[in-house]
Amino acid sequence: MPDQEGFLRPLAGKIGRTTEKKGRLYFEVADENLLEVVRYLFRTMGCRLSTATAMEMYRGLEVLYHFSHDATGRYFCPRLVIADLKDPKAPSIAPVVIGAEWIEREMSELLGITFVGHPQPERLLTRDHPKAPHLPLRRRRTK
Amino acid sequence: MTKTTIPVGPFHPLLEEAEFFKIHVDGETVTGIDIDIGYMHRGHEYISEGKTFTQSIFLVERICGICSTSHPIAFVHAVEDVDNVEVPVRAAYIRTLVGELERIHSHLLWLGLAGHFIGYDTLWMWAWRYREPVLDIFETITGNRNHYGMMRVGGVARDVAPEAVPPLLETLDMIERKMDMIAKAAADDPVLKTRLKGVGILSRQAAVDYCTVGPTARASGVSIDVRKDEPRDAYGLVDFKSIVLDSGDVYGKLVVRVLETVESIKIVRQCLEKLRTAPGTILNDVKEISAGEGIGRYEAPRGEVFHYVRTDGSNRPVRHKVRAPSYMNIPTCAASCKGIPLADALITLAAIDPCYCCTERAIHVVDGRGARVATDLIRLSREKTDRLRRELHG
Repeated sequence: MPDQEGFLRPLAGKIGRTTEKKGRLYFEVADENLLEVVRYLFRTMGCRLSTATAMEMYRGLEVLYHFSHDATGRYFCPRLVIADLKDPKAPSIAPVVIGAEWIEREMSELLGITFVGHPQPERLLTRDHPKAPHLPLRRRRTK
Repeated sequence: MTKTTIPVGPFHPLLEEAEFFKIHVDGETVTGIDIDIGYMHRGHEYISEGKTFTQSIFLVERICGICSTSHPIAFVHAVEDVDNVEVPVRAAYIRTLVGELERIHSHLLWLGLAGHFIGYDTLWMWAWRYREPVLDIFETITGNRNHYGMMRVGGVARDVAPEAVPPLLETLDMIERKMDMIAKAAADDPVLKTRLKGVGILSRQAAVDYCTVGPTARASGVSIDVRKDEPRDAYGLVDFKSIVLDSGDVYGKLVVRVLETVESIKIVRQCLEKLRTAPGTILNDVKEISAGEGIGRYEAPRGEVFHYVRTDGSNRPVRHKVRAPSYMNIPTCAASCKGIPLADALITLAAIDPCYCCTERAIHVVDGRGARVATDLIRLSREKTDRLRRELHG
C-alpha cells in the first residue's frame, strides 16, 4: 500500500497513481497541477529539491522531479509527461523553488523543453560555446 | 556610470577545474555575481548509457578527483535500489570506512586552501601535511591514493585484511591528535575569528530556498545529513554526531568541517575495529538488474551526491542522472556575496568548497573596454588579515 502515512492525501485528485518502493514515491502529475503539487511538497511539507531528471520516452518527454523529505528519508517524485515532442513545454517551478533554476536551464538545453515562466531562460552549460551541440539527449527513445 | 566587473576564471594555471565568476562591484563592495558553468562538462550521463553497471562505476569515479568514492557509492546505491540488492555487513563497513576517509582528506584539503587564501600559510601546511597519512591509509586499503575502484553492485571489490588494521589505527591516532591541535589553534586564534566571523553569511531561509546541501547547509542551521536521514551501509551501525551550527558565516562553515573531520575519525576507528573481527563475504553475487528505476545518494564531503538510474533489464542504464553537491551550493554565492567587501569575496566563494579554486587571477574590465591585470583577490584577502592582525596585536 503506497503512502501509508498519508503524506500525499491533500493532493488527492491532483496526482495520478502512486507507486512506492522503499520510501520512494513516484506519481504522475498533469502540467496544470504541477505548481500546486510543488508548492505543497516544498513549502507545506518542507521537502528539498534534490534535482530533476528529463528523458525521452516513447510516450513523450518525461520530467521527473526528486523531492527529498529529509525528516523521514523519503523521496517524492512527481512525474510530468510532455507528449508534444515538436514544441515541448512545461511550467517552470523555479519561481517557487530557486534551487530549480539551473536544472531547468540544463534540461532545456539538453532536451529542448521550454520551461514557461523561468526567470532566466538561458543555456546553462554552453552559454558562450562557439558551436553548442543541438539537443544532445534527444532522438534516443527508450521504453 | 562606470560599472566594474571582475571576471574570476574560467582558466588559470592553478585551477584544478574551470569555472567563471563575474563579480560586479561598486568601489570595494560586491553588488552582484554571475556564474557561468559548463567548462568541465564531459557528458558523463550520456557516456554512462553505453557502459555496463560495473564499467559505469569507474566512469563516475572520474567525475571528481576529490569525491572519487562518493559518486560510486551513490551510483551503486541507485542500482541496488532498483532490485533491493542487499550488501554484506563486512562490505557495508568497508564502504563507510572508505567514504569517511575521503571526508577527512577532503576537509583537510579545504582547510589548507582556506588558510592559504586568508594568509594563514601555517594552517595550510599543517592541514596538507596531515592529509598525507590519510592518503597512505587509502593506499594500504585500496592500492591507490585516489580513484580507489572499491565499489561494486552488491558489495566492494577488496577486503581489508585484519592484520592491516593495527598500524592503520596507530596512524589514525596520530591524525586525531593533530586534528585536535589544528582545531584548538583555529578556535583560539582571535585574528582568525575576527577575519571570518560574520563574513559571507548565508541565512537559513536562503539555504532552504536554494536547496543547499552539506556543510554549507548545516552551517546555516539546516539539519540535513544523508548519513542520518537515510542511513545506508554501516551508518546505522556506528555512533557519530551530525554537526549543525546556525551562524551561516565562513567561520561557521570552517567549524562544521573541522568538527566533522573529528567525527569522521571516530567513524573510521569504529569501522576498523569491526573489520578486525567481522566475518563474512564482501560481495553478493548480482546476476542481473531488472527493469525499473532507482535513487541512490550519499553524503559526500560537500553534501548530498544524487544518482538516478532507469533500467530496462539489460546490463546498462537507459538513463543515468548525476547531481553533484556543488551544483546546488554554487548558486548560493549570489546570496552570500552580495554587499560584502571584495577582500571577503574570495573566502566566501571558497567557503562552499567548490571543486575548484579559480580565484587567484582577476582582470578589471571597465565599461567593457580594455582589460588590465589589476587585482589579485588572494592578495586583497591576505592584506585584510594582516591589517586585522596588526590591529589586534598592536
